[in-house]
Amino acid sequence: MVSWQTRTAKLLGRLTIRQALRRQLDITEMRARIAGMERFFPDVPADVQVDKAAGLSHCDGEWLTPTEGHSERVILHLPGGAFMTRFVRAERLLLARLCRATHARGRLVFYRLAPENPFPAGLDDCLEAYRQLLDQGVQPKNIILSGVSAGGCLALALMLSARDQGLPLPAGAMLMSPAADLTDEYDAGSRATNADRDAVLSLEHGEEIRQLYLDGRTELASHPYVSPVMGDFSGLPPLFFQVGSTEILLDDSHRCAERARAAGVSAEVEVWDRMPHGWQALSFAPESGRAIARLADFVRECCP
Amino acid sequence: MSALRRDHAGLSRVLRVIDGLADRLTESPGTARPVLLDALRYLLEYHHAFHHPREDRLFARIRLRRPALDESLGRISHEHESGEREIAALVEALTAIDGHDLSGKPGANLANRINDYVRHARTHMRDEEVVFYARAESALSDADWADIIDQDGPQDPLANLAALAGAYPHLAEYLGLSTSHLGGSAIGADGQDDVHRQLLALTDVYGSLLHEGFDLTRTNLRRLLAVRGPIGLARTAGDISVDNLRFAGRCVSQPSRWAVNTGCALLLRWARLDPSR
Repeated sequence: MVSWQTRTAKLLGRLTIRQALRRQLDITEMRARIAGMERFFPDVPADVQVDKAAGLSHCDGEWLTPTEGHSERVILHLPGGAFMTRFVRAERLLLARLCRATHARGRLVFYRLAPENPFPAGLDDCLEAYRQLLDQGVQPKNIILSGVSAGGCLALALMLSARDQGLPLPAGAMLMSPAADLTDEYDAGSRATNADRDAVLSLEHGEEIRQLYLDGRTELASHPYVSPVMGDFSGLPPLFFQVGSTEILLDDSHRCAERARAAGVSAEVEVWDRMPHGWQALSFAPESGRAIARLADFVRECCP
Repeated sequence: MSALRRDHAGLSRVLRVIDGLADRLTESPGTARPVLLDALRYLLEYHHAFHHPREDRLFARIRLRRPALDESLGRISHEHESGEREIAALVEALTAIDGHDLSGKPGANLANRINDYVRHARTHMRDEEVVFYARAESALSDADWADIIDQDGPQDPLANLAALAGAYPHLAEYLGLSTSHLGGSAIGADGQDDVHRQLLALTDVYGSLLHEGFDLTRTNLRRLLAVRGPIGLARTAGDISVDNLRFAGRCVSQPSRWAVNTGCALLLRWARLDPSR
């Protein structure tokens, strides 16, 4: 049973974000609207300290630390937002709640956004943040990646790229509705069947987003660092997907998990009944708390 | 310490199973009950029988070194006992309840009790890790650890799925699944699905009109602010009127079109004239 809080959020999402995505794509206006919506997300809880020290070459970043003490675990979180925008407060709050539940420190990376900084700028920033953790002496077995939507895509791409470069891999990855396929097959699978049921996303401007993210180099769309679903998952750590049953991105999780399992990688998909895209960030909804608790269970499993 | 942390990893995995299936207890009792029984028995027969005694030995050592923690340690040990009693009670209730009752209110109450247990177990585990595990790592010697961790004692059955299948076949089978479904079942019958889809389409219609209305208001205000002189005012009033009338037309026509299309589609379907049905 979907809670009334989530139902309300779905209705608001359908009336606002989804409609904005269906209308003419204007990145500046979209960012301004998101900034306006951000005020509805509460501050980070008082028992999590936010340190804005970035230490990254091209982008900002933050450290989130539970004040009651923390383990050696570090969650490297990559925000979503179609590679072009982001809900800063919502992502920060999501990471803070994850840190509290897992007794971990959190590293939030505000990677560079397209269209000003097209691919691979964002991925480079994420890789730099990961390398920095390793340089600071954090053991890879204590690092968990997490990402929502486009952030999930980047988390997968980061692991593929790190593996290709011979870097040690993290202990696991939490992938919340990753947008893992930027090829042009927009009319297939859940992207078609859930097109009118998705409460948040709409693919009316999918092609434009792809063009902007890749700076017109659409031949790159099938590259595994752009569309991880096309990649070889061998050697990756355990993957944990959470996705809503009515999301257009439902199949991205399934396809990635299938490829991972075919490569001998542990991959589990949780399909949540009628949850909207990014519901984990809706701190007022009971399903969000439950999703976070389950993500925390996964962190304890792969990073004991 | 790593052995205790590994136990918590296993416990977390099984808590995820229990948490996911408790909601399905009333909907699909035939599937959920055997797995839940296996999972709860696993907790009783491994975690409460072996993991918690290890922890109690650990806490006894910490108590010797840090008497100030006596009260908190006492609370945690008490939670071990109450948790064990609650799981035993849940196993008994889950075994005894009639299949028919599981689908009704008694089943929902039992599911709530299971969810409460999961919440409590997660908090308990987190408290242990935050407060005591961190302290124990720095305070205890190798000799202490040798006494705490019974090297020859049983290992977590979750470490070996084949062995797990022998003792807890339903749990092992469930753990082998690649996809789990959380929450109730999705939209039910075809007819319901149709109505739901049409209502979503209507929300899209009104959402789109809402955005258009906001944009039009903004444009109108901009036009009015840019008025210079009576001729400009007359021209602006004309432009605004035309755009407002067009928008009003869309406000009438779009929902009406939705209503006509939806009505016809549903009528055709209900009259079984739709060849795809």
